[in-house]
Amino acid sequence: MSILEKLSLAAKERPMRVAFPEGENEKMMQAAYECAAEGCIYAILAGDSEKLRSLASERGYDPERFIYADLQDETLKADLIAKYVALPDTRLKEKALARRMQDPLYFAMVMQAAGEADVTFAGINYTTEDVLLAGQMIIGLKEGISTVSSIGLCEIPGFQGSEGELLAVGDSAVCANPTAEQLADIAISACETVKALLNWEPRCAFISYSTLGSGQGVLIDKVREAVKLAQEKRPDLLLDGEFQLDAAIVPAVAEKKVKRESAVAGKANVLIWPDLNVGNAGVKLIQILGHADAYGPLLQGFKKIICDCSRSAPVSELKGNIIMSAIRASAG
Amino acid sequence: MERNELEKQLFEIISQLYNKDVEELTTETRFKEDLGGASVLMVGLVSEIENELDVMIQLQDAAACETIGDLADKVEEEL
Repeated sequence: MSILEKLSLAAKERPMRVAFPEGENEKMMQAAYECAAEGCIYAILAGDSEKLRSLASERGYDPERFIYADLQDETLKADLIAKYVALPDTRLKEKALARRMQDPLYFAMVMQAAGEADVTFAGINYTTEDVLLAGQMIIGLKEGISTVSSIGLCEIPGFQGSEGELLAVGDSAVCANPTAEQLADIAISACETVKALLNWEPRCAFISYSTLGSGQGVLIDKVREAVKLAQEKRPDLLLDGEFQLDAAIVPAVAEKKVKRESAVAGKANVLIWPDLNVGNAGVKLIQILGHADAYGPLLQGFKKIICDCSRSAPVSELKGNIIMSAIRASAG
Repeated sequence: MERNELEKQLFEIISQLYNKDVEELTTETRFKEDLGGASVLMVGLVSEIENELDVMIQLQDAAACETIGDLADKVEEEL
């Protein structure tokens, strides 16, 4: 059974309410419909409900399978605005919020912030920048986290890691050149993400071209500082480094290169790249040379679960991301 | 809105968000070099401008402003 099949079963145990602001998009509607029909989620389509119903029928779906949130429903809008502005630490006031809510992405996120949805799932038409801005404006960042970031989950045939063929890596998509503080936050968020999604005990390695001082230079200094900050911030998590990739995931190499106790070296299940140059190349190497399936990016750092899918994502990839987002939300 | 009044309101918004005294701020104050802070503060700034001045500024436009004076120009264009 693949990881996605296992996650689908888990999602069915406690289906979450997923808000889709791009339900008019054919691929998005199909993915939402199939996930809802399979019992993994409750699909909320935010937009013009009459048009959405009509599109659903034309496309051969049972329109009753969806829940509709109509942007023109003034009663619903007023209720959401009242709930939102009553929340602590929100950014927008009523008038500005009402104007933003003319956009389905903002409407969906306000629903989520107000507790009427568990996940916002977008990105097939909206750009990553659109989704991140709306997320920061409406949902906000988690307490103590300074940056939005992402991780990907790789299923690598033949890889014998500490979680079998699975390995989580990040950030390969969002935070381009993190400071040491941001890198620490990316690692902390990544640990929380894999714990929520996969119920792993995270063992998180900060990746560098040096292992515990084997090299020197400013690039390593940043990673070393990030390790220190992360360990100080979250002593309850297993965060360690700096490690070369092999020292992080190959026990024999770790034994040779890491000359002190480490709960992470050689058995890391989460890898944190030093920047996006490495992250982007790293995940593509895993996919192309390792013939891996890579799921994600899973956005992290927000107070609630938001997903920004790839604009070229096929339905199967959308469904995988919907299910992973729902499980993360169900973990609370 | 008069330019002076606009700048005064921007100084107040920025002083609160960036935790600076209003007296420290001028139209020449530079966001990156003089104010620093995480990029998430810029999201807060755009939101507060929307709340207080009733103007929607795109985040990328605000982030491209080097100084508070540049931001005032951008807001003035939208008023």
